[in-house]
Amino acid sequence: MASGKLGIGVDVGSTTTKAVLIDHTGSILASHLMNTGAAAEAAALKCIDEICKMAKITPNDATTIGTGYGRALVESAFKRVTEITCHSVGVHHLNPDIRLLIDVGGQDSKVIRIGPKGRPEDFEINDKCSAGTGRFLEVMARVLEVTMDELGPLALKSDSPCDISSTCTVFAESEVIGRIGAGDAPHDIAAGIHRSMASKIATLSKRVGVVQPIGVTGGVAQNPAFKHYISRQLDSELWVPDIPQLTGALGAAVLALKDPS
Amino acid sequence: MTEEKAYRRLESSKELQQISFQHMLEGHHASEEGRLAWVTSGFPVEIPVAMDVGVVYPEQYGAVVGANKVGPMVCGFAEDIGYSSELCSYARASIGSILKPSESPLEGLPKPQALLACNNICGSVLKWYDAVSELTEAPVFLLDTPALDVEQQPHHIEYVRHGIDNLIEFLSTTLGSTLTDERLIETAKLSSEAITLWQKSLKACKAKPTPLNCADRFLTMAPVVSSRGKQYCVDFYKTLYEEVESRVKEGIGAIRDEKVRLLWDNIPPWFQIFRFFNGMAQRGVAFPADTYTHAWSGAVEADDPYTSVATVYSNSYLNKGLEAKADKMEHLIKDYDLDGFIMFSVRSCKRYSLGQMVTREIVTERTGVPGTIIEGDMVDSRLFNEAQIGTRVDALLEMFV
Repeated sequence: MASGKLGIGVDVGSTTTKAVLIDHTGSILASHLMNTGAAAEAAALKCIDEICKMAKITPNDATTIGTGYGRALVESAFKRVTEITCHSVGVHHLNPDIRLLIDVGGQDSKVIRIGPKGRPEDFEINDKCSAGTGRFLEVMARVLEVTMDELGPLALKSDSPCDISSTCTVFAESEVIGRIGAGDAPHDIAAGIHRSMASKIATLSKRVGVVQPIGVTGGVAQNPAFKHYISRQLDSELWVPDIPQLTGALGAAVLALKDPS
Repeated sequence: MTEEKAYRRLESSKELQQISFQHMLEGHHASEEGRLAWVTSGFPVEIPVAMDVGVVYPEQYGAVVGANKVGPMVCGFAEDIGYSSELCSYARASIGSILKPSESPLEGLPKPQALLACNNICGSVLKWYDAVSELTEAPVFLLDTPALDVEQQPHHIEYVRHGIDNLIEFLSTTLGSTLTDERLIETAKLSSEAITLWQKSLKACKAKPTPLNCADRFLTMAPVVSSRGKQYCVDFYKTLYEEVESRVKEGIGAIRDEKVRLLWDNIPPWFQIFRFFNGMAQRGVAFPADTYTHAWSGAVEADDPYTSVATVYSNSYLNKGLEAKADKMEHLIKDYDLDGFIMFSVRSCKRYSLGQMVTREIVTERTGVPGTIIEGDMVDSRLFNEAQIGTRVDALLEMFV
């Protein structure tokens, strides 16, 4: 069993729920990720249960902070903190040099300028629109009849990406169907989709102010084509953590550990 | 033990119901006598009031529709006959209420005999009042106040002054009203007195803790919008100022535990006004200033009321460029010692919301305080996503920890 103060961070996102347990040194002892589904509260409980089993502790042995859209549903949390702050703290914990964070989740994409102490200095979140989020890619993968894991590598095969002009997921879907009908190659369409999404997020980044070095987190950070196009749009190298989806939960765990209570 | 509320109710706000009842009664009375005008919020109302023309405000009615949480339904009546959901929700609410008065709050506004629009608040008012004219058969008068990107020039004042002459002629021929200098001076004096008192109450919010919060100002601004030039309006602002002054003297805040002081930009979401601002109050967040209620600030000078009217109403907040908006926000943040700001991007008020992104950057650069933009609408609650707004607001507040 782990000793010393323990911190649990639970990030209830629109698509996945993540939980991270850290010890007093900040090392990750356990983590779990699962689909949020319709019962966000149950997903949070299940995630906490899983990490506690792994570390052979009970939830009461640790201090918990909830984050993400469903943060209010994390019953055992003593405090709720937004994903903006948690992502900043999580990234800072892993790589204190990062000054700009691009986080692309299922429902939203956000760009955060991080101060030297790991706190957000400024941020932008996508407007009321799913273009530029993981959901956009999910819809497009379905239209192209590939899995999410296949979509990025498929796009990287392209030398001449199609122009996908729509910034709306629904209209872009019709546009892509039109492209398929016109006989465009699936890899060119896939590349166009990623380029269009990267362009939207690059605009968001420029609004906050592009400062180096840049980190990318969230599920979409695992997509190689997205990384390729956003890196080109911003003309920058990008740092991606090993498990980019866990950053928010990690940040929450770090904050839980730091809390004096 | 009963839990203490996070905010304190204003004693003087109790008088508001009586004033708004009196205002509506005057409107109905004027309508029955064939002398009622519907006017835009930035119209030089001193002229019609001095000519004994009754005035009611469709924008204020829109706020009532919003506060009654029936915005989607009443706006929907206008959308059902083809008006776009992108159109100003005040316009949709007023058109909707004309179409289905029995299903609208207060059964709509009393029937107008004239429609007075001034484009110092936006360009939509002309088309909106044209649409109302089609439905009510009341003629429209447009007072054109060209936008001011620079200091107002003499030719500009002269042009608007000419418009004022046309207005007087329009009201004389349409409603048979007459204007005397004596009556205009008297009205201008009462109007200025109310505005001056209102300004004093607003400025008193520099105190810590602030004696008025956002919701207090949004409610108590009603008479200065709708009843300028009336004695009861002056009386109300005297009472309000006395209460504000006494709160400042005794160190009583509008909210019980003021920890963070923010600036609010734009019209509020009327359907959420208590939920939002009182929810913030529970977390120790007060709003000592906002750009909206500070917009009613120009006092008409009684010694040359015609020229003064032309000057004051051209210089309204929304009739100026982005630079003026950024200046205003900067000064409010500095003068009221505010920690940050929230800009409400109102989907259906393009004039107010245009340029907020760049203004946010400029204001942060000049003041060093952070701000965030939240999206929604003043009347149409279908555009208000609480989860998204919550994340933006919470993230802003976490910056102050």
